[in-house]
Amino acid sequence: MSGPTPRELLVVEGARQIGDGDLVIVGTGLPLLAATLAQRTHAPGAKLVIESGVMFPRVVPTPVSVVDPRLMHGASRHGSLFEALGGLVQRGLVRTGFLGGAQVDEYANINSTWVPRESGERVRLPGSGGANDIASHCRQVVVLTDHERRRFPARCDYVTSPGFLSGPGARAAAGLPPLAVKVVTDLCVMEAEDSALTVTALMPGATERAVLDNTGFTPLFSPDLTTVVPPAPEDLRLLREELDPACVYFPERKLR
Amino acid sequence: MTAEKVTTAAEAVARFVTPGAVVGMGGQNINRCPMALVHEVIRQGVGGLTVVGCNLSLPLDMLVAAGLVARTEQGTGNLERYGTLFAWRRAVERGEVSVGDHSHLAMATRFAAGALGLPYLPTRSLLGTDLLTDMVAAGYARQDVDPWSGSPLVLLKAMIPDVAIIHANRADISGNVVIEGVTSHEVDMVRAARVTIVSAEEIVPAGSFADRPEQVTIPEAYVSAVVEQPFGAFPTSVYRAYDFAESEIKEYQALGRAGDGELRHWLAANVYAGADFDAFLSLRDPEGSLRALLTDQMRSLV
Repeated sequence: MSGPTPRELLVVEGARQIGDGDLVIVGTGLPLLAATLAQRTHAPGAKLVIESGVMFPRVVPTPVSVVDPRLMHGASRHGSLFEALGGLVQRGLVRTGFLGGAQVDEYANINSTWVPRESGERVRLPGSGGANDIASHCRQVVVLTDHERRRFPARCDYVTSPGFLSGPGARAAAGLPPLAVKVVTDLCVMEAEDSALTVTALMPGATERAVLDNTGFTPLFSPDLTTVVPPAPEDLRLLREELDPACVYFPERKLR
Repeated sequence: MTAEKVTTAAEAVARFVTPGAVVGMGGQNINRCPMALVHEVIRQGVGGLTVVGCNLSLPLDMLVAAGLVARTEQGTGNLERYGTLFAWRRAVERGEVSVGDHSHLAMATRFAAGALGLPYLPTRSLLGTDLLTDMVAAGYARQDVDPWSGSPLVLLKAMIPDVAIIHANRADISGNVVIEGVTSHEVDMVRAARVTIVSAEEIVPAGSFADRPEQVTIPEAYVSAVVEQPFGAFPTSVYRAYDFAESEIKEYQALGRAGDGELRHWLAANVYAGADFDAFLSLRDPEGSLRALLTDQMRSLV
């Protein structure tokens, strides 16, 4: 079996953030693959919640939407958005949420609403969806993203979903519960807990220089900096042959 | 099968969707969007609309492309894997459509307040963000405190659509509605709305659900008109009935990416060209083979 692609590394490291028995809220794409990989490996008791109202599905390949029947397959309940984001997430029952976004800043705030063009005009993005709710109420937020400078500004142009807002203490002052954030990129893992994002691990082959060159703020590096453990062959086999056999989310694999 | 609520899409839209109305949009992403009803709004050219919902997808983009939308209030505007809503995004960026952003729970909570006949309901989402600042400035959110604990809270104003439009699996002639699969934001939206039009795959006689009343998703009190329209959500899916038509959604999105002129041409050739939604279905799928395939695909998944 060929070695992992950068995006496969993201998914496998994302899966490692899920504990056995956790309730996890995910959308589609790489986070859903990470969550289903966790269920098939170290966390068979992890349960998925989907914002559209799908509770605890047994996903079949390869959903492209939060209302895809492939994602609704084998669920304990088909409910509503109010039940999923209100009754489970705001209620405090969902430990981990996976989020994306156009920008993640030094204090782990997320922007998915608009970004400026160089001309100063705004590029309209999809908007919050459930992201603000997940970042407000889950205990842990995991972000899987490509590591590009424009994605990691010092401060988001617009804060859609709260990380640690203006810095330590700001989240509690706003009335939000404690949060731990883990950002997994193709270069590194960054973590924050009422703090700025700190690089705690490098992806295999990545360097501190590459992280600094591709980040819009100057991240701290943990004194205990480690290297992410490469995926086991079985993880890659599951991803490639069972979870996304048609390469819906890995077009680069189709080209190889 | 006669009952005062059973009507056609053309009659229901003419009667209940008025220029400038706040329209509550059913469906989410690629599932159970009320496409037949939206096509009819486009054919009748009912404009100046404010379209509200949690995720707004294909039906919103078509209404924007047809030049009928003044404002949206929503949690997201996109088609997930199939990309952004190109007509909506361009119209927003040009300032032609104004936008009121929400989190999905915030919008669902506003519908819930309307559904309960309350002026507002609280949430603990939104705190500390630019999203809250914008919602407060727009006049439908206020920051306050829990009167018991003193902790920060956000009060969200009830959202009461003038008319909600949804597509369902089944309705009886009295307007009792059965939805299978997830209901997204739709049940509270319908309860909150002044009027609701339901299109359904199948309309059944009065009393058809009497042996299983707990399976009625929305009772008749909230429903003003029911329209029978098989494949009325096409090219989006209806759980247990048919899968979404990826090829159709990709084709629309490719045109959307190309530009507004391309979408207007598509609307002219596909929506304005026919008299009703059955004409559109015949145009897109003359032999019915695509619909048969989508039905089989869904059967294999449920």
